[in-house]
Amino acid sequence: MSSYNMVKQEFIKKWITTLHILDCSVEHPLNVTERKNAIKLSSDIAMAAARSSSTVWSRALISRSGNKTANKPMARRVLKKARNRMKNRCLTLRRNGNFTAKSGVRRRTELLKRLVPGGELIENKDYLIRETLDYIVYLRAQVDVMRTVAAVDSVTGNLTNDNN
Amino acid sequence: MLEGLVSQESLSLNSMDMSVLERLKWVQQQQQQVVSQSSNNSPELLHQILQFHGSNNDELLQGSFSQFQMIRSGFGPNYNMGYGPQHEAMDGCISRTSSCQMEPVDTMEGLLKNGTEEDRPISLKNKRKQEVKTREEEKTEKKIKVEADTESSMKGKSNMRNREASSETSKETLKGVSEIPKLDYIHVRARRGQATDRHSLAERARREKISKKMKYLQDIVPGCNKVTGKAGMLDEIINYVQCLQRQVEFLSMKLAVLNPELELAVEDVSVKQAYFTNVVGSSKHSIMVDVPLFPLDQQGSLDLSAINPNQTTSIEAPSASWESQSQSLYNTSSLGFQY
Repeated sequence: MSSYNMVKQEFIKKWITTLHILDCSVEHPLNVTERKNAIKLSSDIAMAAARSSSTVWSRALISRSGNKTANKPMARRVLKKARNRMKNRCLTLRRNGNFTAKSGVRRRTELLKRLVPGGELIENKDYLIRETLDYIVYLRAQVDVMRTVAAVDSVTGNLTNDNN
Repeated sequence: MLEGLVSQESLSLNSMDMSVLERLKWVQQQQQQVVSQSSNNSPELLHQILQFHGSNNDELLQGSFSQFQMIRSGFGPNYNMGYGPQHEAMDGCISRTSSCQMEPVDTMEGLLKNGTEEDRPISLKNKRKQEVKTREEEKTEKKIKVEADTESSMKGKSNMRNREASSETSKETLKGVSEIPKLDYIHVRARRGQATDRHSLAERARREKISKKMKYLQDIVPGCNKVTGKAGMLDEIINYVQCLQRQVEFLSMKLAVLNPELELAVEDVSVKQAYFTNVVGSSKHSIMVDVPLFPLDQQGSLDLSAINPNQTTSIEAPSASWESQSQSLYNTSSLGFQY
């Protein structure tokens, strides 16, 4: 389990830095939705960055997040080339059109491809499953960390309310 | 086929020893009888083979071989029965006639005792065709080949057969129904009823890899054990991924609500980390009593084992560090929460 803890450590570090950067780059009166989006974005980028760029999903996630914010120096810094590559491939895929499958396994694999970032680019079923596995581990870590932070935050929130 | 050959031989080579021909015909008849009865009587075949051996003597063998060599030379251009390799083997066999008679018989007996009906004709086939690829092909063409085998064995006078059988029978008894792998480095045992050509082997390897990955996924995705089959497992995986993604959304919304300043403040988080490590490092119960602010009392969902970033925990003065950390927590949170 220590490797899982290391994953979480990495994620926390990256998340703090990305959130900080995001906070600096965006002007301040933000409503809840914007805040939520910023948090989610930063955590996604952190998750992808915590996983080195050897997996398809991490690169795809970063490219996808990079599209959402105009000025994102960290994303640009992290994976410049991979981002461009991913962008081009995604565009070509969408141009080819959607082939919907009806029968069981085929349909489910297509669904899975849509869920996993960058899954649509993977043709080999073997690699898709490997990527999904990796993605699940990191997603789980992200959820755990966010849950703990949220819990602690809520507790400290209660405490400050009590004090006030 | 050999009958035709023999008749031609009788026509062309009039000076041949009729006794040899007669013996050949007798042997051929014997073999055909053996073949016709092969499906039913194994011990009978064994007896016949032994009889056959008994009737063999060097003289007969030498004579027949020499005759066949003459035949071969005589029928050079027309000779397209595919007995080429057999002849080389035969020639090589001549010198070993006497020595290897008994052992092959033993192995044949052993084979017949251990193996089933099918093994014996299969071994007969295998000795003839060493380059045969698949068992299924052999099974379908069994009868044709057995007949061809009888002809070839006629020529080889069972010595060649037994020599090859001795090499093959050990393989047969060891492997049973499994195939001799054809490829060099991928050694896959093909099961009965499965083809072994290159493509299907590669496909099978691919499928096995996928199934291995599926098993690994079963360990990670909870609740995958009950479901079998690819579609069900994929369903579970998709469910799980969707679940986790929804959780991320929800938690980020919760954090956004709790932190109006978008400051997961840096010191805040690191303090939390230190918090949890100290908790785990030291004895929990006493500290829980001392520090009423401890979140674990209120939040049951927190799992302690989750975050343990700093392995170096200061266990010596926990209470003092607790207070300092809680103070810093208060400071940061008070800064953060401005309503």
